[in-house]
Amino acid sequence: MTVAGMSGVSKRYGDTVALDDVSLGFTENRIHGLLGRNGAGKTTIMQILTGQNFETSGNVKVFGEHPYENDRVLRDVCFIKESQKYPDMFAVHHALTAASLVYDNWDAELAEELVEEFALPLKRRIRKLSRGQMSTVGIIIGLASRAPLTFFDEPYLGLDAVARHRFYDRLLADYAEHPRTIVLSTHLIDEISDLIEHVTLVDKGRVLLDEDTDKLRASAVTVTGPARAVEEFAANHTELQREQLGGFLRVTLSGALPERTPEDLHVEPVSLQQLVVQTTRQATGEQTFVGAANDKETHS
Amino acid sequence: MRRLLNVSRIQLINIPVVFGLPLLVLGLAFLANLAIFAMISDSAQQGEPASGAIMSIYFVLLSVHLQTMTQFFPFAAGLSVTRRTFFGATTLVVLGQSLVYGTLLTLLKLVESGTDGWGMGLRFFGLPFLVQDNPLLQLLIYTAPFLLLSFIGVWVGIVFKRWGQPGVYTVVISVGLLAVLFAFLITWREWWASVGAFFVEQPPLALLFAYPLGLAAVFAAAGYLTIRRAIP
Repeated sequence: MTVAGMSGVSKRYGDTVALDDVSLGFTENRIHGLLGRNGAGKTTIMQILTGQNFETSGNVKVFGEHPYENDRVLRDVCFIKESQKYPDMFAVHHALTAASLVYDNWDAELAEELVEEFALPLKRRIRKLSRGQMSTVGIIIGLASRAPLTFFDEPYLGLDAVARHRFYDRLLADYAEHPRTIVLSTHLIDEISDLIEHVTLVDKGRVLLDEDTDKLRASAVTVTGPARAVEEFAANHTELQREQLGGFLRVTLSGALPERTPEDLHVEPVSLQQLVVQTTRQATGEQTFVGAANDKETHS
Repeated sequence: MRRLLNVSRIQLINIPVVFGLPLLVLGLAFLANLAIFAMISDSAQQGEPASGAIMSIYFVLLSVHLQTMTQFFPFAAGLSVTRRTFFGATTLVVLGQSLVYGTLLTLLKLVESGTDGWGMGLRFFGLPFLVQDNPLLQLLIYTAPFLLLSFIGVWVGIVFKRWGQPGVYTVVISVGLLAVLFAFLITWREWWASVGAFFVEQPPLALLFAYPLGLAAVFAAAGYLTIRRAIP
């Protein structure tokens, strides 16, 4: 069941088109990845789905209704964004108390646990926190609110790799116990590729991909080996990308992993990150070749 | 309703600052006045000294509620609070706060008249044009301007949220231009005498309660309409 979705949504600021005929849907009780480059329109999509921004045209439905000024819908929605502002006079515990007042499913125990795990100083004013600590406040609110629909918009700014993985682990553990719909917007694709079950890729205000992660992974392979053998193998497939290094060739082909592969070829499923990068490049009509001699990229 | 109250409580989470700051400013202004009048009372004893420093608390409330919109609104919206709920909660806070301060000023004014102006004939709370014999009327007259200045703060705060600095400048300049235009019109038509007469003839209850209350309602309505399309 689609919990939140939009169809044919466009958003214009004067002459600038932020979203161009976007249709997408987030299914209930799954972890979704909303991927795309900076400025692709990810945040605008989430702002519109949470009633914070307004579509110029198109249809928006969250829990069956339009979210704008809709308390019934929004009380089940939590939107954690990197740029969240807190009142100047607020200490960490003030922000957590505020969240506990508006979210029906707020889990104070979990919040407390997370504060301890992330070593967050409860009494310190939020404006005096480091960037990473500030992100942690958002992460704790996002997890402890247990909102049936939770958006995380690049929630990890300033967090080191260890803290980020702690967040992913916590997210996954809590999601397993309390299934809900989670949308993770990020460009650290490799880090979350095991986490997300569905991928929505946007670029320049358009949706490029809207597919289950498993299906996507099965949709392309990279084949590496001696140039001639690879060419032979690739002949009947759609080629997505090619990199040549001396006599060796690596191509990315669309299609599932073949059952049998020639012995001198190395065939592996493509990583989500590669797939995203290639899809985005293809969409912008940009072809990339890796120079034969020294890995220098040249664009044509 | 429960949600409305809960969102009001968000604004009151840090109640020492929200409620205490205006009181602190008033208290400091009062102490300063006491000190000044204690010093000059020997040399300059002509009539009862009066001070306008009570106005300070009214203007602090304006700035407090300006920040309600610039700081609490983006935060509350981040917690998926609708604009309507947030505005309703703000209205509740403004009403409660104005009433509490109005009551406090009424009580302090009673103390002031009971102690013969804090023992030195100082009129800090009971300014001549403000004084009413009926404590209820006194309360209304103290309270209404709080509502007015709070909602001015609320509206300007939302204007800032929606249109940024240019928006606020536009408002200030427009108000200035209108004032100049009015002054020009009145001078040109030689209406100053009747304008003066109007203010003198108005009963204090109209001037200090009814008009501020009406204007507060206008600013509240403007605030509500402005926040409807604000992006937090």
